[in-house]
Amino acid sequence: MTGANAPAQLEASNLSLSFGGLSVLKDIGAVFQSGEITGLIGPNGAGKTSLFNCLAGLYRPQQGSIRFAGTDFGALPTTQRARHGMARSFQHVALCPDLTAIENVMFGLSRLGRSGWAGALLGLKLARTEEADARHRAEQALKKLGIADIANMLPAELPPGILRLVEIARAIAGTPKILLLDEPAAGLNAAETRELTRVLHQLRTPDLVMVVVEHDMDLIMEICDRIYVLNFGKLIAHGTPDAVRSDPEVARIYLGEDDD
Amino acid sequence: MSERPWLLGASALLVIALIALPLAIQGFWLYSLGLCFANGLGVLAVTFLVRYAGEVSIGHSFFVAAGAYTVAIADRSFGLSALVSVWPAIALGVLLGIGFAFPSRKLSGIYLAVTTMALALALPELILQAGPWTGGFEGLYVSRELLPGVPKPLQQYYFALAALVVATAMLGRFRQSRQGLALLTARSHPAAAEAFGVGRDWARVSAMGISGGLGAASGAALAFTSSTVSPNSFTLWTSIFLLVGSVVSVYGLTLGRALLGGAFVTLVPQLLAGSGDWIPILYGVALLAVILAGHYLPRWRAAGRSAS
Repeated sequence: MTGANAPAQLEASNLSLSFGGLSVLKDIGAVFQSGEITGLIGPNGAGKTSLFNCLAGLYRPQQGSIRFAGTDFGALPTTQRARHGMARSFQHVALCPDLTAIENVMFGLSRLGRSGWAGALLGLKLARTEEADARHRAEQALKKLGIADIANMLPAELPPGILRLVEIARAIAGTPKILLLDEPAAGLNAAETRELTRVLHQLRTPDLVMVVVEHDMDLIMEICDRIYVLNFGKLIAHGTPDAVRSDPEVARIYLGEDDD
Repeated sequence: MSERPWLLGASALLVIALIALPLAIQGFWLYSLGLCFANGLGVLAVTFLVRYAGEVSIGHSFFVAAGAYTVAIADRSFGLSALVSVWPAIALGVLLGIGFAFPSRKLSGIYLAVTTMALALALPELILQAGPWTGGFEGLYVSRELLPGVPKPLQQYYFALAALVVATAMLGRFRQSRQGLALLTARSHPAAAEAFGVGRDWARVSAMGISGGLGAASGAALAFTSSTVSPNSFTLWTSIFLLVGSVVSVYGLTLGRALLGGAFVTLVPQLLAGSGDWIPILYGVALLAVILAGHYLPRWRAAGRSAS
């Protein structure tokens, strides 16, 4: 049970997932604490993206449960998880090309709006107030990530590193309780990755559960408080970055240090 | 964002010019421009679906007919003017859009387009089967005036113009709304939209509902502007021409673009009316010319700007 003052945690228990006869997750248990950044790592095909997608609601595991703050997330579709405070970024940037950067971030706040269709079409006061508030919050999110100057630019006009940050701004604008980041450093150069590292450190708050899937080991070791390592759908190690780094199983299987 | 003040200014000037136009023209051209405005609304209905749902319809004559017959039946059976009956007509269009979208919400691309075509194909027969209400082959006459004392041609012109101006203003507003942002994101990245609480089914049904309402508004304006409704006005070709108008307008939702699409749908066939057997060929040439101009002119302008 989660106590009233206990930090919220996202908890996956006994998760198993298969596609046809292919088992991609086998009896996975993991706890993602608020106030921490938790990394999911593993070689290609390890199952980390499958686990990530189970958390996000894209995949429905055949067995096991996902719970957050007393709510059974396993039974909720993706849209409902968003209403419970889950937000995410995508491995392949998924911004709307017709919207400016700030409008894309404002979209991240749309679920919080209360104005109806009449407000949308007629510009009633509530709708205008909400839009002004959303624009302000979106500006704050862009400012927090240091990219306020590109607010009115379209995604096609922006480099990959900035697009990643716009996606993260969209995810954090609504003050989520769970933030899932899917390979945020994919396609970034060294300078952009350094900037991303700074930003991710900055996002850490006591009430936020952050989960990061990433191939860039330097980034993961730098930002994470806890790391789960998967291989062939099984959890092979977890702990602090130092503990994972020194785990012989991880070194042998994941980092490729063979004994022979 | 930077284009908006310019766009608003141009739209305002265009509206003023269109309001003043009856001082300079009358008769056939006044009537034709009223039809342009009404057809412009139909073009907007198709374009809205393209822009906000990424889908193509070749069955929007169904929603146009729903609006037109609502106005005509309200006129004949209930003695209501178009100023009153346009609202239930739009509501019916929205409901029909939602009613069509819900069962077809999982369809997309060519499958949805063919499904909308079924609406257009079934429509004339539906109208004939409802003969006691719809007037069958002969159709209905819309006679009731909006403002007694004002010449009927002016009423028809201004009614259609007002409907088009209001619709484009509302669509401009909608683009800024949270619902507008949600529909655009759901169109380009459905998974991203769902991750932020916007279901793809909701997006599809909503877009089709608004599109249906716009289609019905077009029908209401057509019924009052042309004074008659009959099955011949709502065939599969009507739907196809609305789609052509949408392409010609380069899928624009502004007043100018809607006028361009509406004018192509309305005026080009009239201008070519005296060309006999050459009509289809000349229509094709005109269509090609407008589409190529819409495709290349922005590029030439952009190239010119970067060179200067």
